[in-house]
Amino acid sequence: MIEFAKITTRLVTEFKKILGNNAVVFDDKDALENYAHDETGGEYYSHMPEIVLKPENAEQISKVLKLASAEHVPVTPRGAGSGLAGASVPIYGGIVISFERMNKIVEIDKTNLVAVTEPGVVTNDLCRKVSELGLYYAGYPMSVETSFIGGNVATNAGGSKVIKYGNTAHHVLGIEAVLPNGEIVQFGGKRRKDSSGYDIVRLLVGSEGTLAVFTKIFLNLIPLPGKTVDLLVPFPDIHTAISNVGPLITESKTLPSAVEFIDDTSVVLGSKYNNIRLPYQEKADAYLIVQYEGHDRDELESIYEKAGKALMNGKAMDVFVADNRTNSEKIWRIRRNWLEGIKAFESHTPTGDVVVPTSKIPEIMEYIAKISKEYKVQIPVAGHAADGNLHPAPMKPKDVNLGEWKELSEEILSKIAIKASKMGGAVSGEHGIGFVKKELLKKTKNKQYELMKSLKKTIDPLGIMNPGKLFDPQ
Amino acid sequence: MRIAVLVKEVPATDKVKMDEKTGTMIRSGMESELNPLDMYAVEEAVRIKEKFENVHVVAISMGPPQAVNSLKEAISMGCDDGYLMSDKNFAGSDTLATAYALSAAIQKLGNFDLIFTGERATDGETGQVGPSVATQLGIPVVTYVSKIEKISDEFVRVCRSIEGGKETVEVELPALLSVVKEINEPRIPNLAGKIASKSKKVPLLTANDIEVILDKVGLSGSPTRVVKVFYPKLSRDGKIIKVRDLESAVNELVEFMKQKGVI
Repeated sequence: MIEFAKITTRLVTEFKKILGNNAVVFDDKDALENYAHDETGGEYYSHMPEIVLKPENAEQISKVLKLASAEHVPVTPRGAGSGLAGASVPIYGGIVISFERMNKIVEIDKTNLVAVTEPGVVTNDLCRKVSELGLYYAGYPMSVETSFIGGNVATNAGGSKVIKYGNTAHHVLGIEAVLPNGEIVQFGGKRRKDSSGYDIVRLLVGSEGTLAVFTKIFLNLIPLPGKTVDLLVPFPDIHTAISNVGPLITESKTLPSAVEFIDDTSVVLGSKYNNIRLPYQEKADAYLIVQYEGHDRDELESIYEKAGKALMNGKAMDVFVADNRTNSEKIWRIRRNWLEGIKAFESHTPTGDVVVPTSKIPEIMEYIAKISKEYKVQIPVAGHAADGNLHPAPMKPKDVNLGEWKELSEEILSKIAIKASKMGGAVSGEHGIGFVKKELLKKTKNKQYELMKSLKKTIDPLGIMNPGKLFDPQ
Repeated sequence: MRIAVLVKEVPATDKVKMDEKTGTMIRSGMESELNPLDMYAVEEAVRIKEKFENVHVVAISMGPPQAVNSLKEAISMGCDDGYLMSDKNFAGSDTLATAYALSAAIQKLGNFDLIFTGERATDGETGQVGPSVATQLGIPVVTYVSKIEKISDEFVRVCRSIEGGKETVEVELPALLSVVKEINEPRIPNLAGKIASKSKKVPLLTANDIEVILDKVGLSGSPTRVVKVFYPKLSRDGKIIKVRDLESAVNELVEFMKQKGVI
């Protein structure tokens, strides 16, 4: 086990010299506590940083990393803290680098259709800004209002639009990063083709802060889709719902921008939390939310009529059509606030994140139902039906104490993740591994695990970058 | 029973922008939608239709030709018919002139027992048109209706939300009811409704069709004059309290608020 050095007063003075007094948080328990957790789902996952640094540019980060390397202090990069696997939690203490001050959109290049941002830009701020220019950033994690671009890239975030646009990796053209030795390097850039050697950009995407600190991100932009229509579709059972996903796409002859799934328990809790009722709430066992994008009203009408007829032929209980802002918001509110809705009733609700081939969703849902019965734990599930990415969220029963619950909930989620992996899926679809899933990574990706470890060793030989994430410190 | 629902197409935004020079609303490039508060009026009318036999629901709107989309939305929710009053003579109508034109259309289409409106439109925010229509038709109006308790061919008994409580009111029909959000949860139209509304003809009513006096509609019929439109200027005087511990921060904040006369 690697031993890390502690932050000394001498180091604090050095950091203040590099960053200025106001960009250093030290010896202030209340302020440091804000950087001790993410949204993983329980205070037992918290770890206090020793110091929080808020840099404003790559040069400052370079100096910090040189010092951290020299002193052998762990460094944990942190975005908005909206992660769900603990990737930004400093489990070995040391330095947290917070990107809250590196929140500038550096450039929107309309000729090359590229946005260059700092890591601390809130996803929706970028989406809004580019949309004013008729452009579209197609990365769309569900936490779009809070998550930072840097965090999206670090976890290879997914979201609801992956079926049409792919996950975050598909939108990243380049990354400027500071390597653990303090070197500032730009990988990729304003280009869409590059077959010159290994693709380091793709390696950095999803590396969860274990290889380097991102300081600039080059993102692909596309033309803004004109209008959207959303369909809310209740089904008598999950099998019927999922069996509709394929035909829906082929019959409408259009790739939807989202096909989301929510189960009956999620709807019951979500409707209480959001104070709305969905049609067929008492009878439906599952809902699909389908979104299409189109140029104009006529095009969308033609698409939703074809899709709607396919769904009705596929034994949907009905198809509800929202082609205005008010009704669309009504449909999406329950899905978007899904986790908050559940946590309002039980705050100790960790969220699983497994991915299976779409056709296997009914099978994994059956397994989740079996586990729910076996452990006597309620497990609402929502997810992205079109890409097989599900989020089971076990809720702490009233009679289980917190200590027991940490173990129990991890056991439940591990069983579901292993099962998903055996079905041809993976133990994380979009949240990442962080530290809560590293054992699962080891169990399910033997060969890749060793290869990943050796890559980590090459880029971060001292092991200071976000230690304890993906693997135990080497 | 015949029910009319008065609806309006509004900009689909929470941030209505005004042209400070002309005093008019900036609508260009803006998506439009059925006024969200009118959806409650449509829903209530459709629920009555679904509960009782021989109820016919007609949605009526005054606006530019594209407002037909909002009427189609009302039809897809369950209204039987829609009528769009669209004529350049109506342009620039204020709430009085709009209410006059709407009441003329209601009289022309004839024999309505109940007229529903939303509480107000989300663009103009006046809430005046409904009561003004009732006045011009000489029928009772009940505003802020949150529940319909009883309905017969002769009267309707409703509960209205008032400051600090509820009030039950019974009025003879015909009457106009303006409803609030608490009354129901408007439905999202289903595929069958959307397809049916697509092929449904929405007749156009001009000033001539509804036999209005031209001087009483449009700009000439509107006594309201927008003298000036401006955005309120907000300025903030920030003060940062720098202390190490929570207790002294709170004490200083309380002292500051006392000085300002806030507490």
